[in-house]
Amino acid sequence: MEQLILASGECDLTQQTVCAPADVTELFEYRIPVFEILGFPITRTVFLMFLAAAIVAAITFFGLRRKAVVPGRFQAAVEALFGFVRDEVAIGIIGPHGIRYYPYLLAIFLFVLVGNFFEITPFVNFPITSRMALPASLAALTWVIFIAAGIKRQGVRYVADILWPPGVPVFLRPLVGAIEFVSTFLVRPFSLAVRLFANLVAGHVMLTLLLTTGLVSLTTIGEIGALKGAFGIAWWALGLAIFLFEVVVIVLQAYIFTLLSAVYIETSVNPAH
Amino acid sequence: MEVLKGAIALIGYGLAAIGPGVGIGIIAGNAVQAMARQPEAAGMVRTTMFLGIAFTEALALIGFVLFFLA
Amino acid sequence: MAYLYTLAVQILATAEPVPISEGGEGGGGLRLLLPVPEELIAGLIAFGIVFAVVWKFGIPALNETLDARAAAIKADLDAAEQAKQEAESLLDDYRAQLAGAREEAARIVEEAREAAEEVRADILSRAEAEAEAIRGRAREEIAAERERVAAELKQQVADLAIEIAGKLVAESLDVERQRQLVDRYIEELGGVR
Repeated sequence: MEQLILASGECDLTQQTVCAPADVTELFEYRIPVFEILGFPITRTVFLMFLAAAIVAAITFFGLRRKAVVPGRFQAAVEALFGFVRDEVAIGIIGPHGIRYYPYLLAIFLFVLVGNFFEITPFVNFPITSRMALPASLAALTWVIFIAAGIKRQGVRYVADILWPPGVPVFLRPLVGAIEFVSTFLVRPFSLAVRLFANLVAGHVMLTLLLTTGLVSLTTIGEIGALKGAFGIAWWALGLAIFLFEVVVIVLQAYIFTLLSAVYIETSVNPAH
Repeated sequence: MEVLKGAIALIGYGLAAIGPGVGIGIIAGNAVQAMARQPEAAGMVRTTMFLGIAFTEALALIGFVLFFLA
Repeated sequence: MAYLYTLAVQILATAEPVPISEGGEGGGGLRLLLPVPEELIAGLIAFGIVFAVVWKFGIPALNETLDARAAAIKADLDAAEQAKQEAESLLDDYRAQLAGAREEAARIVEEAREAAEEVRADILSRAEAEAEAIRGRAREEIAAERERVAAELKQQVADLAIEIAGKLVAESLDVERQRQLVDRYIEELGGVR
């Protein structure tokens, strides 16, 4: 909320239709460290990342601590979440071998989910997954894991089959191989990271601009007149609708990130594709 | 010059979004048809649908990034 | 705790954006696309924490719970199976007992019927004998009565005859001889009959 209020100070609706900053970067970059630990700057984003990790740890710990045979609501919910990733994603996509990648996929899912949920959490309102650092590092981890899994499983043939694909006419092999190489080793991690990043950036921008505009038009309705005030309230209502829509996006993007990580690992583990 | 560049980037991204938009629509529509015909295969169809959407969406994502780069 | 809270509020309130000029002109969007070093490091550390917690605590704890649940369900099923078998054997027992009881009841009824039949026959025969006895006695009585009546009649007839004869034959014959005469006559009469 703070960024809304801060931004609203500079917004003049008599001049603008929507409160948009001169540069969208303003909505995302908070690089002034609050304090430093051993020279490492603790900025707002860094703090939120550790907060997300702490929330995931707390959910895991308090959800599974009691190990009750007949679970309570919270324990059942956490178990359902874990079981979903194991059965639907790890084993469902990768197959019986998928249980080895289950911890990694589960960690990704929970971390991204909580990071996404910061977008609509009151008083935070900032998805840490909209900073490229998080999607990029997780996508890089997935990249390393699926290449390592492929090489471990198939040896050198893994790379060779991609560069010189069997079952393709010989004169097309260099072309297909090049496309496959780019698609597997460059586009995959890139699109994995950017998909999450772009969805959250777009959501955050829309929410911030529309809700700020609504807020500003409500507080300055005397200056901007009834017509513009009505517009402002319409913007605000649209913002609320998008707020609800973002709940879907948040869960879906966390799921898709995990699902695609699993799919990429699967294509390395099971070569018969 | 700067303003023009930004406007062209916007148009570029809009064009880049057309193809993936149509593609995702086709994928989702056919997936719904497949699920309606064979509800027992819904899980597999859904996974494949997400995969297809992910590959198609990559084009829009590249456009998104190029918009930022412009 | 209060310190942590103030710290959190302080950090969340830090919304001071970086001056735009810092990233160079027009490159604002590109800056957004590039990971920032401190966030990259923090993100990896935070993910490491999440991964460690999930891997070392969450999944083993969940597996333990699931195993315990599976064991409990299996124990319940086994107990139910055993109870079912017990109930079945009990039911067989009861069935056998019921069949025995039914047989017993049939036997008792049959016995009672036989006894009743016996009693009936007994009573019937006794009643018949009694009736026969009564009939015999009555016959005897009738016979005795007839005899008595016959004797009496004989007496009266004799007396009457004597009287009539005496009147008829005059007084020549004394009473004693006449009596003898009449007696002989009657006897002859009786012999003829």
